[in-house]
Amino acid sequence: MTLFRFDIDARSRTAGRFIGRVRRELLKAITEEKGGGLTQQELARRLEGHRSNINRQLSGEADITLRSLADLAWALDREITFELRRPDNTEGQNVAPVTSTIGHKPARIIGPKASSE
Amino acid sequence: MPTIAELVERGAILKIEVELAPRDQPLRLLYGTPQFVEWLREILGGAQPSGLLGSTSPVEQIDDLFHSFLSGAPLIFTRQFRVVRAEDNAVWELKTPDIRIFGWFMAKDCFVAVFGNWADTIKDHDLYRGYRIAIRRLRRELGVDATLCVRGVSPDDVISV
Repeated sequence: MTLFRFDIDARSRTAGRFIGRVRRELLKAITEEKGGGLTQQELARRLEGHRSNINRQLSGEADITLRSLADLAWALDREITFELRRPDNTEGQNVAPVTSTIGHKPARIIGPKASSE
Repeated sequence: MPTIAELVERGAILKIEVELAPRDQPLRLLYGTPQFVEWLREILGGAQPSGLLGSTSPVEQIDDLFHSFLSGAPLIFTRQFRVVRAEDNAVWELKTPDIRIFGWFMAKDCFVAVFGNWADTIKDHDLYRGYRIAIRRLRRELGVDATLCVRGVSPDDVISV
């Protein structure tokens, strides 16, 4: 064996990557604002909260609610864009399976269609 | 002095992949030792830390980390990866809320994972030094210290974004 595929079910994959992406977007914005002198302490002051709570949310050790996400965006002076769109299929892109093979029955092989002759 | 292909050929390391989204391109490379892959299998089997810190499960955290890495997304220094000790041929750590993964960069954007463990366990038992020494020993045994190991300790030395 030369390859190992870390394969998880599509639902978990969607959740994990989305939550991770939201956190990284927040961290990116905070890092950018740090250049302008904004500290996590100042962020906490603007939100009238505790720095440790913000840190736990950003590190992934605490959930970020939609409310706290909106509050953080406000404190960082950022707009939020959110969109749900259907996956579009164009030529040349990866074709991701809709479901994982984990926990499912073995793949059923459909034989070639019998000739009508 | 072996090449990456030879290390894979003789089973010293395996290439690790995750499902990429339709528009993703594989922009980095990830490998693991057979022992690390065994640990990944345990995680896929449902292993959990004694107290889960993250709001996502361990498998979701690892999938997200591997996906970010492989798809070339910007990784946040110290939050998602860091050098264990600033030294030549350093050992590096990839991080999620509950998991720590130790290994080294064979080249820029090309990581080999050697050990994975729960963050709490590593901190409670101070395993950093032991992992660092074991990884340095493994590199010597594989004969890759001079050729397949990034020397620098700056984030820019190991990650291109």
